Amino acid sequence: MSDDPSRRLSSNALALLDEIAVRIEAGRRLELGSSEAVLRSIVDATVSLFQAEAASIALYDVTTDRLIFGVAAGEQGQGAIGLSVPPSEGLVGYVYTTGQAIALSDVANDSRFGRQYAEKTAYVPRSIVAVPLVDEHGTIGVLEVLDKRDSASFSLRDIELASIFARQAAVAISSSRVERDATSLLRAALRALIGDGGSPSHDESIDEIAGAATASLQGDDESGLWALVEQVARARRADPSSVGLVADLLAVLASHAEATGRTRGGAGRR
Amino acid sequence: MTAELPAWSEPFADEHRSALQRVVPFGSIDREWAIGGSDGSGALVAIIDSGVERDHPAVGGRLVRSVVVDLSGDEPSVQDDPDGSDVVGHGTACAGIIHGLAPAAELVSIRVLGPDNRGKGMAFATGLEWAIDQGASVVNLSLSSRSDALFGTFHELADAAYFANVLLVSAANNVPGPSYPSLFASVVSVAAHDVPDPLVWFYNPAPPVEFGGYGVDVDVAWKGGGRIVATGNSFAAPHLAAIATLIRSKHPGVTPFEVKAILAATGQGARVP
Repeated sequence: MSDDPSRRLSSNALALLDEIAVRIEAGRRLELGSSEAVLRSIVDATVSLFQAEAASIALYDVTTDRLIFGVAAGEQGQGAIGLSVPPSEGLVGYVYTTGQAIALSDVANDSRFGRQYAEKTAYVPRSIVAVPLVDEHGTIGVLEVLDKRDSASFSLRDIELASIFARQAAVAISSSRVERDATSLLRAALRALIGDGGSPSHDESIDEIAGAATASLQGDDESGLWALVEQVARARRADPSSVGLVADLLAVLASHAEATGRTRGGAGRR
Repeated sequence: MTAELPAWSEPFADEHRSALQRVVPFGSIDREWAIGGSDGSGALVAIIDSGVERDHPAVGGRLVRSVVVDLSGDEPSVQDDPDGSDVVGHGTACAGIIHGLAPAAELVSIRVLGPDNRGKGMAFATGLEWAIDQGASVVNLSLSSRSDALFGTFHELADAAYFANVLLVSAANNVPGPSYPSLFASVVSVAAHDVPDPLVWFYNPAPPVEFGGYGVDVDVAWKGGGRIVATGNSFAAPHLAAIATLIRSKHPGVTPFEVKAILAATGQGARVP
């Protein structure tokens, strides 16, 4: 920390790195939470395709060692949200642990199964299909569909269809896990550029440069940029169909802001 | 010449050849020959699953031993589980299917799903190794592992089972990508068909999934002494495991690949000469 890392880089280079960092951060903030929106649209699609009473996705959470239901759809689905199950228990736990897709029907006839379920969700299904969510590293969760309206049970074809939806969900989750912060992305890029000549002091300078380039991201958001990005991200998460409307409204507001800016004769960097 | 042959060729030397005669008269086998009158007596079937409910009527009191894989120590270990519980119901379903077709076979439950789910692949491998050491005639597996790190372990175990005359029957996985040991060639891998008859099975000459067993809307035993209707490959596998048990009970001399050949020759899709 003795000498200022920015002195080792030309001011031009540092400004460029700073600009890259801002763009990475904007992208990251725009994508935050997007996997949840995709998962929600997947359970919505599952419910309408199967004409089902409910569909939900439980993801394995390492810190609590539980499968947690985060998204659900359908008239009877909402009771499942927030429910958490140990991976060693019940149908969901079994499907998660074994990776085997399973469909059960006449569930209500098995009093114990029905009662356990009803205690937790206030809804006793007649039939249920549970398929694993699998990414390249293994099983990460379970997609569950309850009660097809036009049939007493789920067929092999239904298991296959549900597995296709589960695959989409797993892909969505995997890609969102790539979301990384600007500092570690820049650090990785610099390390890759400079090579692995890697003495500890080398690594330290890379860390310092990456830190300096992203310094402007820390602290208060005086420019108002992140507040703006957050609103755009919210609009994207809420409903894809209203994104167009938000964009139109923003265009009107932006023209107004530009006009105001010109009359005042000033514009910030951002 | 005999003296110059390496040891591996010894079984095929002139004076030893009489020991190579097999019990299977290939070309003239049919279902009656394969399983007719067999009830599974003398066979031991291991069920690696969620446990088996000892007192469930569907198991008919044939559960002779229950163990559980314990991962709490430094090394995974196998402990007796005298209460014989089933944490889900699935293992009891498998046991009920096998007992229904092979009522005289002895069953042993190896529970690999328990309160602690971490290291599930290792628990599974430990349970499988134990089943092979017990000399089970048939091992029913509903689980498979996707762990690349355990590829070698499962490959060794599948080979060890094959050479120890232990037949592994595994439910195929619907999800694409590797799953061990169900994709290994020595294993009887099974997917579900929808002909509602437990004694209907098919051979598929285009692997990796070689056999089809009854697995759609199957009335199965479930936890708490109950019953449930179930669909999935993991309900098809115990049907093939039970049929293999009938074959091994009636023809104790046949080896795992011969059981496969008999299953293929007597399956529903097989061409009648």
